[in-house]
Amino acid sequence: MPKPLPKYLQFVLQTMAYAAFATVLGVFSVWPSYQQRGVNEAILKLSFSHSGQLKFACRQRDAAELAKTAVHMRNKMDCPRERSQVLVELDMDGQALFRISTAPLGLNRDGAATVYRRLAIPAGPHLFSARLADGPDGVIHFSSDHKVDLKPGQVLIIDFLTGSNGFVFTGG
Amino acid sequence: MFSQVADFLDNIFPPHANPWRHLGGLAFLCLLLSCLSGIIAYTMYDTSVQGAYESGLRLQNDPMRLGPLLRGLHRYAADAAVLLVLLHLIRETVQFHFLGARWFSWLTGLGLPGLLLISGLTGLWLLWDERALYSVTATAQWLQALPLGSELLARNFLSTQALNDRFFSLIMFIHIGVPLLLLGGTWVHVQRISMARFYPPRSLIWGSLGMLVALALAFPAESLNPADTSFNAAQLSLDWFFMFIHPLAQALSDQTVWLMVSGVGLALAMLPLLTKFMRTAVSQPAQVHLAHCNGCGRCAADCPFTAVMMTQRSDASPHKFQAWVNPNLCTACGICVGACPSSTPFRRIEDIVSGIDMPDLTVAMLRNQLKHELAALTGLHQIVLFSCRQAANLSCFADHSTAVIPLHCAAMLPPSFIDYALRLGAAGVILAGCKEGACEFRLGDQWVRQRMAGLREPQLRARVPRERLRVLWPGRDHLVIQKAAADLRRSANLTALQTPHD
Repeated sequence: MPKPLPKYLQFVLQTMAYAAFATVLGVFSVWPSYQQRGVNEAILKLSFSHSGQLKFACRQRDAAELAKTAVHMRNKMDCPRERSQVLVELDMDGQALFRISTAPLGLNRDGAATVYRRLAIPAGPHLFSARLADGPDGVIHFSSDHKVDLKPGQVLIIDFLTGSNGFVFTGG
Repeated sequence: MFSQVADFLDNIFPPHANPWRHLGGLAFLCLLLSCLSGIIAYTMYDTSVQGAYESGLRLQNDPMRLGPLLRGLHRYAADAAVLLVLLHLIRETVQFHFLGARWFSWLTGLGLPGLLLISGLTGLWLLWDERALYSVTATAQWLQALPLGSELLARNFLSTQALNDRFFSLIMFIHIGVPLLLLGGTWVHVQRISMARFYPPRSLIWGSLGMLVALALAFPAESLNPADTSFNAAQLSLDWFFMFIHPLAQALSDQTVWLMVSGVGLALAMLPLLTKFMRTAVSQPAQVHLAHCNGCGRCAADCPFTAVMMTQRSDASPHKFQAWVNPNLCTACGICVGACPSSTPFRRIEDIVSGIDMPDLTVAMLRNQLKHELAALTGLHQIVLFSCRQAANLSCFADHSTAVIPLHCAAMLPPSFIDYALRLGAAGVILAGCKEGACEFRLGDQWVRQRMAGLREPQLRARVPRERLRVLWPGRDHLVIQKAAADLRRSANLTALQTPHD
């Protein structure tokens, strides 16, 4: 059987083992630093939650159709709940950044369409053009241009609020 | 490689307190330390958008240094728990501890790292600094990658105005609730093993506590700049034990990381299915022979996996109980055989049958093998080596004066066999097992030591000359066994020289 180490040496080696473990903990709890963007980059966030227009217009039910439905469900008007897809386009300095078509949420596709995109872009002056189509015809109903001089690390948020009548640029 | 790590640490730590063999207990200790320090920190935490960051700073800037100590202990204990759980998982995987009866502990343990990560991430968010904002947004993005259609989650962190105090109450609720689930999960994790060691030995507890306190004071866990939704820092110092997943998702894509996590999780969960292909003759479960079972319960008391239970007698025997083996839990270690009082080779019947026996290596086979092996030896000072199959490669020891009897576990040997071997003429007996504290079947070394010391039934009789017995825990170290054999022979030779001849 190998001769056991002297007590004092065991103590020293145990201390070194604990110190090694502590070093691993201490180091990897803060290091290495993570580079989440380039030094001369700003961050663009395109995010909104918007309910598109109803996909189908209301229509009058005819008598035969009404007769087929249960008595308590005989609404003269049939208004399908499904909403249209929402199309959003974002250009930066004339170059397309995003072209996203997003479907409404919900089993009946009657909820809001939601978008979240994050992108690192070069800092400096930029012209953003945003367009949104929310009807069944796919025609652009909202568009907005915005000039901004972004500093490194600055976060530009592009939201869409129907109440504010279109795109809202924050942080620029 | 892992056994080399254990062997290396054996030189530094006492074998019973080798941290490599207490990774689960150490992880639980760290979890507990993190919980206790967290309870104290909670009393000083303000769950509001403005107050969250300030709470962290207040602790950080405590002139008495108790705040940094508390924060550091809370943080580093959680980090240590992640590292120890990872090492525990790796060690159990390479030791194939997912096969057979161990499937339950394996499966119930797989979810625990996930709960640990959720606990840690939510804890880091509560500090509401740059790192917290980065992590919470990255987590929201990652969750949005699930095909649920919604991209609303990350919108909550677009601006400070989008947040309200309820967010921190919710996160605090998760940060307290998930560790409670973790503690409950740990309890379930060890349900199918008996005498589970929740805590490591005392020396490791004090050592770990000292290490964490020293680390907390030497390198205080500090907040970064307050979370600012309008500015994105180029570089962030991350707690990689918990936040490794964010850079990974950014490098590979959120969907890829979901696929990786679910793929690895599924693959690990499927590992117990390999049992079907890896079952060998050795792994046949123990069998109870009612006619020889007196219902003493020693087998049930010694079984490390609660596979043996005592039930009401089902035959006409006057004994109240009988042993019953659950084959799904039995790891075929044979420890129950070593505990059974009827497993004695001194019984006079030709084919002895034990109350509980291993079908592939019955007590009768063991006795016959011992007799034949001893009879076949031609050398002087014959030695019988009973050795655990998990330990040394036995074939190298067999020679003209050494009989080698392999066992499933060292604790499978009823102590009376040692007495029997000496009576058959052996000059000495060696009983060898895995390294101390590293028994493949958890409790084998503990039971052997107690049986030999007369602290546990069945005991080694007092009349057995202890100088002719060596109980060793060499693991795969051949040298230890060879030296013990040489030592036994030397003393036998000495005795022979000192004994006057007629």
